Amino acid sequence: MKEQDPIVFVIDDDRMIRDGLQSLIRSVGLRVETFASAQDFLGTKRPDTPACLVLDVRMPGLSGLDLQLKLRDAGIPIPVIFITGHGDIPMSVRAMKEGAHEFLTKPVRGQDLLDAVQKALASDRELRQKRREANEIRARFESLTPREKEVLELVVAGLLNKQIADQLRMSELTVKTHRAHVMEKTQAESLAHLVRMSEKLKTATRK
Amino acid sequence: MGREIDARSGVHSVARYALALVLVTLALLISLAFQNSIGNPFWFFFSAAVILSTWLGGTGPGWLAVIYSTLAVMYYFMPPLHSFAITPRELPYFVTFVACQIGVTQLISWRRQTEEALRQARAELEVRVAERTVELKNANQALLRRMDEQRRTEEMLQATQAELARAARITTIGELTASIAHEVNQPLAAVVANADACVAWLAREHPDLAEARAAAERATQGATRASDVIARIRSLITKATPEKLRVQINQIVEQTAILAEGQAARTNVAIDLELSPDSPIVLGDTIQLQQVILNLVMNGIDAMSTVNDQPRTLTLRSERQDGGHIRVVVQDSGIGLTEEVKSRLFEPFFTTRSKGMGMGLSISRSIIEAHGGRLWAESNASRGATFQFTLPSEDGRAS
Repeated sequence: MKEQDPIVFVIDDDRMIRDGLQSLIRSVGLRVETFASAQDFLGTKRPDTPACLVLDVRMPGLSGLDLQLKLRDAGIPIPVIFITGHGDIPMSVRAMKEGAHEFLTKPVRGQDLLDAVQKALASDRELRQKRREANEIRARFESLTPREKEVLELVVAGLLNKQIADQLRMSELTVKTHRAHVMEKTQAESLAHLVRMSEKLKTATRK
Repeated sequence: MGREIDARSGVHSVARYALALVLVTLALLISLAFQNSIGNPFWFFFSAAVILSTWLGGTGPGWLAVIYSTLAVMYYFMPPLHSFAITPRELPYFVTFVACQIGVTQLISWRRQTEEALRQARAELEVRVAERTVELKNANQALLRRMDEQRRTEEMLQATQAELARAARITTIGELTASIAHEVNQPLAAVVANADACVAWLAREHPDLAEARAAAERATQGATRASDVIARIRSLITKATPEKLRVQINQIVEQTAILAEGQAARTNVAIDLELSPDSPIVLGDTIQLQQVILNLVMNGIDAMSTVNDQPRTLTLRSERQDGGHIRVVVQDSGIGLTEEVKSRLFEPFFTTRSKGMGMGLSISRSIIEAHGGRLWAESNASRGATFQFTLPSEDGRAS
């Protein structure tokens, strides 16, 4: 299997359920890793591939909801599919609020779970793609000198060269030079492209 | 208050002494007036004055009257007249007079004192009797109040106990339901997951028989585990309290009817008790038998919840049967049993209710069988259903 193959983590304290889910998910050609507890999962190194978690809510030790919060706090953005024996409403509301991808009740229909897994993996793939793009843009933007960054800010804000020159107390010619460097370093094809990249970076950083 | 009484008695005693003086003076004047016409009548008038003074005024005024009349007699009637001297010849006469006066006054005052003491004693007695009567009345009222209170407390206690028993039963059933739901759901989830996996392996373009077989085997294991859980719960319930004692079945039926009263009242069901008159005795566990009867009663009440065109009556009957058995019958006029329902009634997890667990009758049958009896159901000829069980009787009598 390639390193980029998506992977599904199944965490359930019941071995029989764990094996069943693993077999089910493997049958559609996905890679599966199982864990008997949340602690075991946290203690393993995870490969850098699209992934999702299939998580039992009620487990001894760290519960599924606890693990979800831990992952969120640690800044590990992995989609979570919850499975619960007794889908009470407050619990599912809480899980969904914390960003659970799906909330399924036991016994889970195989197809429902596989659909949820595929959707979660697709969503993770997309997120990872976005993150990768944002990282690339960030790297490019970070190669700019402080002066060039100042010029960039004002260009993106929609100011004309003359206005920028006035504000930064430099000649219009110097502004033009900086601007050309910015476009080159960020590999922007047009002003519009530059603005889009800058926006993407801002939203990614905010997240 | 005290001083007022003193003042009044002071005025009173002054009046008494004045009365003595007035009376003796009156006697003196009358004696003087009649002296010449009747001879010497002082004896009679002074005696009368002394008697009246003592009688009306008491000892002090009596003595005053004696002294005053002695002096008056000495001065006005004993020779030599108009002097306090007495001739020796008159002395015995005078002494007799004085002695008589003293004797009279003493006798009367003694009599008066005795009467006074008697009157006081009587008054005191009356006061005391009145006091005692009040005390007794208070004590009696307090006693009545306390009895009332005690009766109310007892009633409350009974109500609380009944409520508690009901609550405990409901809690137990609730906890049991949750626990069973989880215990059974877990292996069922495994069965479903593995069965789905098995199908998925078979549905592939090149079916993976080894994986499919492994999944199918795990599904079987899960199903076995689920049935183990059920068996464990059943044995837990039927063997939890194997305390079998000689108990009166009528008592158990009655107590259960009381437990079900609240639910019956809420749903407008009348419970009709027809108990065997000779109080049959069985060997059994009171709590378990109560559970069985309560279960049947609750089912009956439930079955009548949709009946509106006739009275909702639940009959609870105990009776002796041939062969040394006691039969308990729970008969309702509810929706009755279809053939399909009847054939599956006692299966675990079979229920006709949306929120039922389907364990009640299955458990009830296990309990009755563990008691050496039988539990079965029949449709009534007219309407509703009859659930009944038999238990061997323990008093050796047969009808």
